[in-house]
Amino acid sequence: MDAATIRTRFRDRAFVVDEAFATALQIALALEKPLLIEGPAGVGKTETAKVLAEVLETRLIRLQCYEGLDAMTALYEWNYPRQMLRARLSETEDATIEEREAQIFSERFLLKRPLLEAITERRPPVLLIDEVDRADEAFEAFLLEVLAEWQVTIPEIGTIRATHKPRVIITSNRTRELSDALRRRCLFFWLPYPTLEQEIAVLHARLPGLSERLAAQIAALMQKLRALPLQKAPGIAESLDWAMALMNLHRDHLDVRGFQQTLGCVLKVHEDHDVARAHAAELSAALGEASAPTQSGGYRLDTDFGFGSVSTPRR
Amino acid sequence: MHPFGSLPENLADFCAVLRRDHAFHIGAGELLDAARALEIVDLSDERSVRAALRAVLTGSRDDAAVFDAAFDRYFFQRQAIEQEQTTPVQRELEPGPGEEGEDAPSRQRSDASAAELEDALGNGSGPMAPLETNEQDGQDRFVARASYSPAEVETSQTPDVSEIDEAWIAAARALVRRVQLGPSRRWRPAATGRRFDLRRTIRASLQTGGEAQAPRWLARPRRQPRFIVLVDGSRSMGQHAGTALKVASALARATPRVEAFTFSTSLARVTTDVRRASTGKPRRFQPLASAWGGGTAIGACLADFLRRFGERLLAGNAVVIVASDGLDVGEPETLRASMRTLRRRCGALVWLNPLLETPGYEPTALGMSAARPHVTTFVSVNDLAGFVRLSRSVRFRS
Repeated sequence: MDAATIRTRFRDRAFVVDEAFATALQIALALEKPLLIEGPAGVGKTETAKVLAEVLETRLIRLQCYEGLDAMTALYEWNYPRQMLRARLSETEDATIEEREAQIFSERFLLKRPLLEAITERRPPVLLIDEVDRADEAFEAFLLEVLAEWQVTIPEIGTIRATHKPRVIITSNRTRELSDALRRRCLFFWLPYPTLEQEIAVLHARLPGLSERLAAQIAALMQKLRALPLQKAPGIAESLDWAMALMNLHRDHLDVRGFQQTLGCVLKVHEDHDVARAHAAELSAALGEASAPTQSGGYRLDTDFGFGSVSTPRR
Repeated sequence: MHPFGSLPENLADFCAVLRRDHAFHIGAGELLDAARALEIVDLSDERSVRAALRAVLTGSRDDAAVFDAAFDRYFFQRQAIEQEQTTPVQRELEPGPGEEGEDAPSRQRSDASAAELEDALGNGSGPMAPLETNEQDGQDRFVARASYSPAEVETSQTPDVSEIDEAWIAAARALVRRVQLGPSRRWRPAATGRRFDLRRTIRASLQTGGEAQAPRWLARPRRQPRFIVLVDGSRSMGQHAGTALKVASALARATPRVEAFTFSTSLARVTTDVRRASTGKPRRFQPLASAWGGGTAIGACLADFLRRFGERLLAGNAVVIVASDGLDVGEPETLRASMRTLRRRCGALVWLNPLLETPGYEPTALGMSAARPHVTTFVSVNDLAGFVRLSRSVRFRS
């Protein structure tokens, strides 16, 4: 699959990727290497894996990392109670010890965790290793081993090899620096905040009913907001929330009052509201700039009798 | 044109430049991947070639920025220089590392695409336009390319983290041990513990025919502290900054949970460099080039740290070590506010002030007196003895 196809397929699923990202995905798929995606929160790192699974029409297997995650939780576990029960029930049978052992330690009694599941899946699935920076270093080393060999050894059964390498997407929020070894094993992509045009495209792709003027205003304000010294800069998820909120309030454009009323959709830390208030002049300038070009084509406030959210194609 | 006729050779040479001048870790495996990636993408499109190589050859965001600059320099600038001197070389295709076992049609295709690439590069005017006017100083430019290397900047301007010996590591271990944190909330299997582990006991009983004979136990492991070292890189700190980085490197040997930053007029994360230094690998203190030798805006930099990394790094288990002489050019109020927030969000706030050993020094400078009330441990670490003293005196609120 080449980069252009990836872009259109992702686009069909309301996910906008730029050329560089599509190329990185293309290479990751072709070289069968894991793709490490880093970037600020809320730019669609996890979503990428979900959409990729849809595009490839395969399963998404997700391994959510957290502090204290160990190999057993990620790989496999024996279903002990079931094994015990079976051992007790088969005591009276005439089977030899070896037969009973083989029965108890068969795949039926194996609880597959995400990594083993990804290896044994018949079609190569998309394996999402989410927030790998939250797991500790020991787990990272273990992960390296699995990513390199694609095989798992279970003492009682033997070695299970992957028939197809899963497509691996690894995401990181940079809570801690990842080891050089893991970085070397992966392809790397830094997913930044979207540009103005990309954000407008994302808003339209996700919310088809959104008026053009509102989308332009939201995207312009987001650019301004992300440039402010906020504690928690808003991601794409926030702008989608915001657009949805404004649509529900039947607004077809954003004014200063509406902006202040709905700021809670975007800024989630109290101190950030103070920052936004301090930069109110810049932000309201962004409101004006974005609305000006679409003014003639869009609905005007004085002629728009409360039908602001009803949007029609205006070209 | 390019120094070598064929694409694989140019690629190998480009990788060698990255390895030599920018300390990239590029082995045969990466080179092979890069060659395979170039077979996949459209070679006539500079952006996709760049994106492909960037994905394969870089491993972090900082690397990516260095890569982009190096890519421009290698593929556009050098070509502009050599174009004037030599006639286009008759290129012949030789099988490179990525082309073995490849069938003929696609080889022709990649050859054709490579020619397109060369043409595209040759006719491209954007990046080359300013260079064509002064092609005489090609040799100088070549030198300038080398001096772009962050590794070289480091040798001339930034302090040297000299060899970390056992005594430093021992002191670092003592410091890590000294920070006593309570047990974590998580139960872990242990030889002796407080809670009976039914699941593992049953598992073990399978070995003895279903009769449980050896009980298994769970215990709570201790919580691990995290060390965050913030080093003042202003000129007034001089070689003391090197000592502070050495403290960070020694800590990195003792525990994996170390993060290091430098600041002067802006903040830069140097954790990777400190880790490399701690294992004796080549160091790339890249961000220091801009952060080194200016005045210090301690308050603003700490506020920047809180904003960008506070949420992710600071918690009750964090020991924040600030190494600075407290000579702040910013507003004392900013520093006071940052220190107050920092203290609230970490377990211990250590301030290493190299001037403290100077006879008659009182921390009365505006910045220092603003920060002092929020500091839990206030010492100087100028040598090993100071570090050992720190490891004995640090106090922790757990």
